[in-house]
Amino acid sequence: MAIPQQLPLGIGLNDDARFDNFYLSEHSANRFALCAVRELLNPEGERFVTLWGGPGRSHLAQALCVESADLGWQVQYLPLRAVRDYAFEPDAVHSLLAGLEHMDLVCLDDVDAIAGMSAWELGLFHLFNRLRDAGVPLLITSEENPAHLNIGLADLQSRLQWGLSCQLHALTDAEKTEALQRRAEARGLQLPDEVASFIIQRVPRDMNLLFSVLDRLDRASLQEKRKLTIPFVKQVLGH
Amino acid sequence: MPESVWNHCISCLQSELSPEQFNTWIRPLQLDQSATTNEIALLAPNQFIKSWVTDKFLGRIIELVSECVQDRDARVVLGVAANSLARHNRPRTQPVAKPQAAPQITREILPSPSPAPTPSEPRADRDVDVEGGLKHQHRLNTQFTFQRFVEGKSNQLGLAAARQIAENPGGAYNPLFIYGGVGLGKTHLMHAVGNALIEKNPNAKVLYLHSERFVADMVKALQLNAINDFKRYYRSLDALLIDDIQFFAGKERSQEEFFHTFNALLEGGQQIILTCDRYPREIDGLEERLKSRFGWGLTVAVEPPELETRVAILMKKATQQNLNLPHDAAFFIAQRIRSNVRELEGALKRVVANANFTGRAIDVELVRESLKDLLALQDKQVSIENIQRVVAEYYKIKVSDLHSKRRSRSVARPRQVAMSLAKELTNHSLPEIGEAFGGRDHTTVLHACRKIKELQEESADIREDTKNLHRLLTS
Repeated sequence: MAIPQQLPLGIGLNDDARFDNFYLSEHSANRFALCAVRELLNPEGERFVTLWGGPGRSHLAQALCVESADLGWQVQYLPLRAVRDYAFEPDAVHSLLAGLEHMDLVCLDDVDAIAGMSAWELGLFHLFNRLRDAGVPLLITSEENPAHLNIGLADLQSRLQWGLSCQLHALTDAEKTEALQRRAEARGLQLPDEVASFIIQRVPRDMNLLFSVLDRLDRASLQEKRKLTIPFVKQVLGH
Repeated sequence: MPESVWNHCISCLQSELSPEQFNTWIRPLQLDQSATTNEIALLAPNQFIKSWVTDKFLGRIIELVSECVQDRDARVVLGVAANSLARHNRPRTQPVAKPQAAPQITREILPSPSPAPTPSEPRADRDVDVEGGLKHQHRLNTQFTFQRFVEGKSNQLGLAAARQIAENPGGAYNPLFIYGGVGLGKTHLMHAVGNALIEKNPNAKVLYLHSERFVADMVKALQLNAINDFKRYYRSLDALLIDDIQFFAGKERSQEEFFHTFNALLEGGQQIILTCDRYPREIDGLEERLKSRFGWGLTVAVEPPELETRVAILMKKATQQNLNLPHDAAFFIAQRIRSNVRELEGALKRVVANANFTGRAIDVELVRESLKDLLALQDKQVSIENIQRVVAEYYKIKVSDLHSKRRSRSVARPRQVAMSLAKELTNHSLPEIGEAFGGRDHTTVLHACRKIKELQEESADIREDTKNLHRLLTS
């Protein structure tokens, strides 16, 4: 009979997305994007920002939600890649987007996920008009440059290019290593340089994947009360 | 008490759910402060979110509330936020400078109230007493005035007609039907008329709305069995401005209602302005009688702005924002961003934000850096090869004809058109363009450009051809 592993308590350290834990290297070109997104909290600032490229789009989008909620704002975040499957028909899309102009801030993550879906394109077009009429700040993120998206509805396409568009630039391997180490540090984990390099060299270098590997390592090190060493990482990752 | 209980639930749910789920479904829920102390009443932004939360999370919320109040029968009620409550009945830790919305119309059907303005875009919503004590809000954007509109060849006719209407509403140009592509200023013109009418007569009942809103208000009126109030309200307006009427297509009941409203207003000499992305006859799914009535007044097209107008738009924007935008930088942007004004404004925003961020003055170099991705896209789309391909297709000749020595007019004219477009739309030098057209001299390219410019003045056909090709290449 297998002995059940002892599960760690479900009180993970709080590394929720925040503006101040968004990784930036010293001369990072991504600082511009961070400032632009943060400006949405300024009532006198830009009302509409599009954020594309990556990694870090969802981090900034969620950080914006957290920080605006701290100000007492009512905020709606919609990860379009996930919710497009819940709302497929025009009526469902309409119903999901109804009333959002009464929020203080709306954040639409991954708009490229709905490119070519006519019900969604139309729904977002109408939502965009309502938000603009109401002066509600809007953040839209996209993997691709909004100017390249294959949006069928020209009215939506032109509106997507109306905002302040900011690109998030890819990280170099050195930056990825540092980002991973900072994330580990925020969780109280020691991730020595050689171990971080080991991970970077063996795992697909997508930041989301790297962070999920860190989650696994975090849980494993808690369960087994081990430090993060190369042999331990090898054992956990099966390399 | 409910507040502390709900805060406890929030922190538990935050640790149990992924940030994505939490932000999507839980964070937008709002505690209804007006509920009784014995229950937790939550308000979702809309019916969809309410149903989703009820389905997926309500059980857990009830558990958490029960734990917290140590009462197994704790009551949690989920509702949908009324518009006004969602934005205005909650504490803020920082003033958000969003003024209170005008009081909500008591009878829900007409037209749902405009939300609050932002400081940067003040909306002069007024309440006007009308029959039955209904409140009227014109919903005009006060930023869209004639003073802020940049005139150019592309919009001259529309602007003249709009000015005329502002002087003499309900006169000869009724309805005014403005059509054209996206982001060319149709909505701006429409608002400008509305704002001018209000300026002249602050009691004028002007209403601007998007066609979607007309449909939504009508549906609500039908549901509430209040269609007569709906009719009375719309027919009492002095001017009705409806944007993007192409979205009426396929909505037969709305078209029927709009048809009657339209006739009543027209008969009463009240002004109607409509915008659309295409000529009335081209709107599929619109009743013939509406199409024909839309053409009763004046139908004007708004075209994409030409280079000079694009520069003027940028310069005007810069003046409005007290920016120092050198002419050559404006010219550089305008030369490259051609399709519509929205894109032009988006580009300028990026340049300005970049200048503020880096503390540099705006110059061509900064513009080039700021718009790197857009420029790369333009260069990719508008290459000489692409121009040759599109022009050859348009004139039904072969691309090789454009490279050949043949000088018959059926080939020479398209070649000249293509050369002139290559000069206008790409950054290639004249010798490079000549080279790409079968190794011709740069003076041949220069001659072609001059010739086409001349012909555009003289011949409607060439004008039409170059306009169409321009659109094909840049949209």
